[in-house]
Amino acid sequence: MKNLSTPRSGLVLPRRRLLQSAGIGGAALVAAACGARGTSTTPAPSGSRTDGNVAAKTQPDQSATEKELVWSSWVEYIDEDDDGNRPTLERFEEATGINVELREDINDTAEFAAKVRPQLEAGQDIGRDLVVLTDWMAALWTRQGFAQQFDRSNMPNADNLIPSLQNVAFDPDRDHSLPWQGGYTGIGFNSKLLKELTGKSEIRTVEEMWDPALKGRVTILAEMRDSMGLVMQSLGADPANFTQDEFDAAAAEIQAQIDSGQIRQVTGNDYIPSMLTGDVVAAFSWSGDIALEGKPYKFVIPESGGLLWTDDMMVPAMARHMANAEQLMNWYYDPEIAAEVAAWVAYISPVAGAQEAMEKIDPDLVDDPFIFPTDEDLANITAFKWLTPEEEVQYSRIYQSVIGN
Amino acid sequence: MATTQVEPGVDELEPARLSPVQRTLTWIREHALAAYTLLALIYMFLPVAIVVLFSFNKPIGRQNTRWNEFSLDAWLNICKDPTICGSVQVSASIAFFATVVGTIMGTMIAFAMVRHRFRGRSTTNLLIFLPMATPEVVLGSSLLALFLNMYVGSWSMPLGFWTVLIAHIMFVISFVVVTVKARLSGLDPRIEQAAMDLYADEKATFRYVTLPLVAPGIAGAALLAFSLSFDDFIITNFNSGSTVTFPMYIWGAAQRGIPPQVNVIASIMFFGALAIVLIAQIVSASRRRAKS
Amino acid sequence: MQIPSSSPAIEIPDVPQPATPAKGLLKGRWTPYWLLLPGMAWLAVFFVLPLVSLFLTSLQSPVSDNPNDGYYFNWDFANYSEALSRYSEQFIRSFIYAGVATLIGLIIAYPVAYFIAFKAGRWKALLLVLVVAPFFASFLIRTNAWKTILADQGWIVETLNTLNLLPQDRILNTPLAVVTGITYNFLPFMILPLYASLDKIDPRLAEAGADLYATAFTTFRKVIWPLSLPGVVAGTLLTFIPAAGDYINAKLLGSTKDRMVGSVIDSQFIIVRDYPIASALSFLLMASILVLVFIYVRRAGTEDLL
Repeated sequence: MKNLSTPRSGLVLPRRRLLQSAGIGGAALVAAACGARGTSTTPAPSGSRTDGNVAAKTQPDQSATEKELVWSSWVEYIDEDDDGNRPTLERFEEATGINVELREDINDTAEFAAKVRPQLEAGQDIGRDLVVLTDWMAALWTRQGFAQQFDRSNMPNADNLIPSLQNVAFDPDRDHSLPWQGGYTGIGFNSKLLKELTGKSEIRTVEEMWDPALKGRVTILAEMRDSMGLVMQSLGADPANFTQDEFDAAAAEIQAQIDSGQIRQVTGNDYIPSMLTGDVVAAFSWSGDIALEGKPYKFVIPESGGLLWTDDMMVPAMARHMANAEQLMNWYYDPEIAAEVAAWVAYISPVAGAQEAMEKIDPDLVDDPFIFPTDEDLANITAFKWLTPEEEVQYSRIYQSVIGN
Repeated sequence: MATTQVEPGVDELEPARLSPVQRTLTWIREHALAAYTLLALIYMFLPVAIVVLFSFNKPIGRQNTRWNEFSLDAWLNICKDPTICGSVQVSASIAFFATVVGTIMGTMIAFAMVRHRFRGRSTTNLLIFLPMATPEVVLGSSLLALFLNMYVGSWSMPLGFWTVLIAHIMFVISFVVVTVKARLSGLDPRIEQAAMDLYADEKATFRYVTLPLVAPGIAGAALLAFSLSFDDFIITNFNSGSTVTFPMYIWGAAQRGIPPQVNVIASIMFFGALAIVLIAQIVSASRRRAKS
Repeated sequence: MQIPSSSPAIEIPDVPQPATPAKGLLKGRWTPYWLLLPGMAWLAVFFVLPLVSLFLTSLQSPVSDNPNDGYYFNWDFANYSEALSRYSEQFIRSFIYAGVATLIGLIIAYPVAYFIAFKAGRWKALLLVLVVAPFFASFLIRTNAWKTILADQGWIVETLNTLNLLPQDRILNTPLAVVTGITYNFLPFMILPLYASLDKIDPRLAEAGADLYATAFTTFRKVIWPLSLPGVVAGTLLTFIPAAGDYINAKLLGSTKDRMVGSVIDSQFIIVRDYPIASALSFLLMASILVLVFIYVRRAGTEDLL
C-alpha cells in the first residue's frame, strides 16, 4: 500500500481552512516527483499521432467583443469557499473582465462526450468554450478533430506544464489539450460505518469490498478504465498491458458481484451523495473527492495497485471564445494559482512550481503524496492502456453489458 | 368532465330501505373508503412534503438530504445560482410555446374527428395513438437522428431551444387531442342543432355555443400540455444540445447534491398549481350558484 | 378551469368510430382536412419520418468494428434476434415492473376514484385538485425525494427492519423502490380516467341494484365495475405504456440489477453507439407494447360485452 495511505495522508485535509491562510507566493522548480509520472503513462500506439489527426472546425473568434466563457467541468473540481464562491475564478474574472460560466455538468467522461458527440459530428457549436475530459477521451477528440488547436504563444504559463505530461503521443505539442488535474482511482470508504459493519477500520484490498457484511453497500464506477483497471490489478493483471482473457476474467468478477447483489450501483461522480447519506459504505472513487469530504471518509490505494489518470482542458470545435479560453488556461498555469486550486481539490497538480508555491499556502501539503507524488508513491500506480478505436468499442461493449446495459 | 357539473348531494342517493345489517356494512364501507383515500393521499403527498420541508433546510455542504436547521435562505435567494433560474425560464418559455401551438393543433384535430366525417379516420386515430404508445427514449432518439440530418448546404439544424420546442409540440398534440375529444364527444350535438334552428349561423354557433362548452376541456388540455412539457426529461435530453431546461438542471445537480433553491422552485410550482386550480374551481362554482 | 386529462380516454386505432353527429356544422367538404392538416403534418414530419428512419437504421450493419466508420443499409434482420437474445432479461423485467406497478396503481387508484366520484359530496372538486397537485412539483425532484424517504438510514427502512420485514434490509436500490417510484409517478394517469368514467355512472343504478336485493358487492361487480371498464382500460394503458419505457425510476431508485430496457436503449444509442441494435430494441419495445395493448383491449372489450 506504500506511503500513500500512511496515517498522515489519510487524506483528511482541512482544505477549507487552507484557503484562509494568506500569503501565497514563491515559485520554483518542477517537483522531482512529477517527473516520475512519465513512467506510468503508457505510450499511445502509433496510430494516434498528430499527423493522422483531423483538423477541428472553427468559426471566427468572438473573444474581443464577447467577454465570456462557458466552461464545463466536474463537480468540486475547483477551489470554493464556504459560501460557494470560487476565489481563483473570481480573481480571474476581475483581472480580465471575462465572465466565466462554470458548469459542473460532467459526471462521467463517456456519458458527457456521448451527449455532445452528435453536435460535434454535425459540425455544430456545443455551446461550451472549454471542457475538462479524461485523457483517453482527449486523445479521441484530438484525433477526430473535436478539439481546436490553441496558440501557445498566447499562454506563456503553459510552459510550466510538468515534463512528464508534455510529450503525449496524441498531442505532442500540447496545443489541443492541456492537463487540468491528475488523480488516482482507488477505494473510498466511510470508516465509521465500515467499523460498525465489519469491525475493520480500513479497507486495503479490492477483495475486502466483496465482504458479505458489505453486501449492497458498495459501488463501482461506470468509467470502464477505472473499475476494470482496479479489478484487473486485484486479479494480478496489469491494466497497462493485459490480454483478452485477463479482461474477461475481471469482467466476470464484476458480473458475479453485481449478480450476487454485492455491488449496489454503478455510478459516475454521483457516488458521493450516496456515501454521504450512508447508503454506500465503500466505493471505487477518485482521490480528491473523498479527501474533500473529510472524516470519516478515507481514500486508499488498494494493495494490488491503483490507477492514474489526467483530465485535460480542451476547446471544442466551433467554440467561439478561443482567446478567452487561452487566457483562462494561462491563468491556471500560474504556479501560485495552481497551488491554490490543488490545495483545495487535492488532486495532482500538473503545474511545475506549484509544490513550491504550496509552501506558503499549507506546508503540510507540500509532501502530500496525493498532490505531489514521488517516484515511490507511484510504484504501484498504473495508467490504463491506450486503446485503439476498435478495442475501445470491443471493451466498452463487454463492460456495458456487464453493468446491465 | 363532471367537475364542472353540480352533483346531487350524496345523502339523497342513499337507498332508504336498508336493513340494519346493511346499514352497518354501508357505514363501514364508506368510512373504510374514506380512510383508504386518506392513506392514498398521504402516499401522494409524502414526497412533496419532503420537498417542501427541505426547501427550508440549511444543508451542511452540498447534500440537502439530512435536516440541519430551519432557514429561509433558499426562499430569499432563489436565484443565487443564476443557472437555476435561467433553466426555469428556458423550461417555462418552451412549455408556453409548446402549449399554445400544441393545444391549437390538437383542438383542431379533435374537432375534425368528433364533428366531421372524412376519409382516413383510422389512420388519423393511429397517428394520434402511436406517439402515446411510443416510449420516450424512442421518440427522443429518433428525433435526434432526424435533426442531425436536417441541413441545407453548410447550415444545419442546431440543437437547442427550437429542437426541444419542436419535440415538445410533437408529443403534447396527442394528449391534447384525447382530452379535448373526450369533452367534445360528451356534448349533446342537439344543443348546437338548437342554436342553428334559432337562426344562428355556423360561426355564431361555434363562437357562442360550442366553444364555451368545450373551453374547460381545452383549458384542461393546455394545463396538461404545459405540465408534460415543463417536466419532460428524456426527450429533451436527447435534443437539447447545450440548452439546459429545469429537469436537466436537476438531473445534473443530483450528482453533486440538489441545492435547496430547487426545492423552493418545486414548492412554488406545487402551491402555484394548487392555487390556480382552486381559484378556478371557486370562481366557476360561484358563477354556477349565481346562475341558479 | 379543468383538471388536466380528466378523461384521456385512449383511442384504440382498430375500434371503429361511432357515426359522427351534427352534420350541419362546419360542413365544408374540405373543412376536416384543413383542421387536421397542421397537427397531422407536424406528426408526419417529427414523428413518422424519424420512426421510418429509425426502422431503416435497425436494418443496418456496421462497416467495420470501429463505429466511427458508420453503418450501411443491409436488410440486417439479425439485429432483431440479437437484440432480443442479448437483452431479453431487461425486456422481461421492464414488462414485469410496469405490470406490477400498473396493478398496484389500479388497486390504489380505484377506491380513491370511486370515493371522489360517489362519496365525496361537496369535497369532490377539492379532492380532485389534491390528487393532481403533487404532480406539479417536478418529476425528478419527487423521485429524488423518494431517495431520501427510502434511504437505508431513514425511519421507514429502520422501522421495517426492526420488524424484520425487509428481505434485503433495504428498499432503495431494490426492485421494490423501482416499483414504488413507477407506481407513484404515473398515478394521476390512473386516477383521472377512472374518475372520469366512474363519474359518468348514474348513482341511481346502484340504488336500483340495492332495490333488487343485490348486496353491495354484487351491485359493484354487476353494475359499477362493468360500467367503469373504459376508465380501467384507459388508466391501465396510460400507466403501463410509459412505465414500460421508463428508465429514470430504475436509474435513480434501482440497482444495477434492476435496469430496464429503456436504459439499454439509451446507452446503446449514446454510449456504445450501436445504432442498429438500439433501433431494433426500440422497435421491439414499441411492437411488444402495441401487441400487449391490442390483446388487452380485445379482452377488455369482450368482458365489457358480457
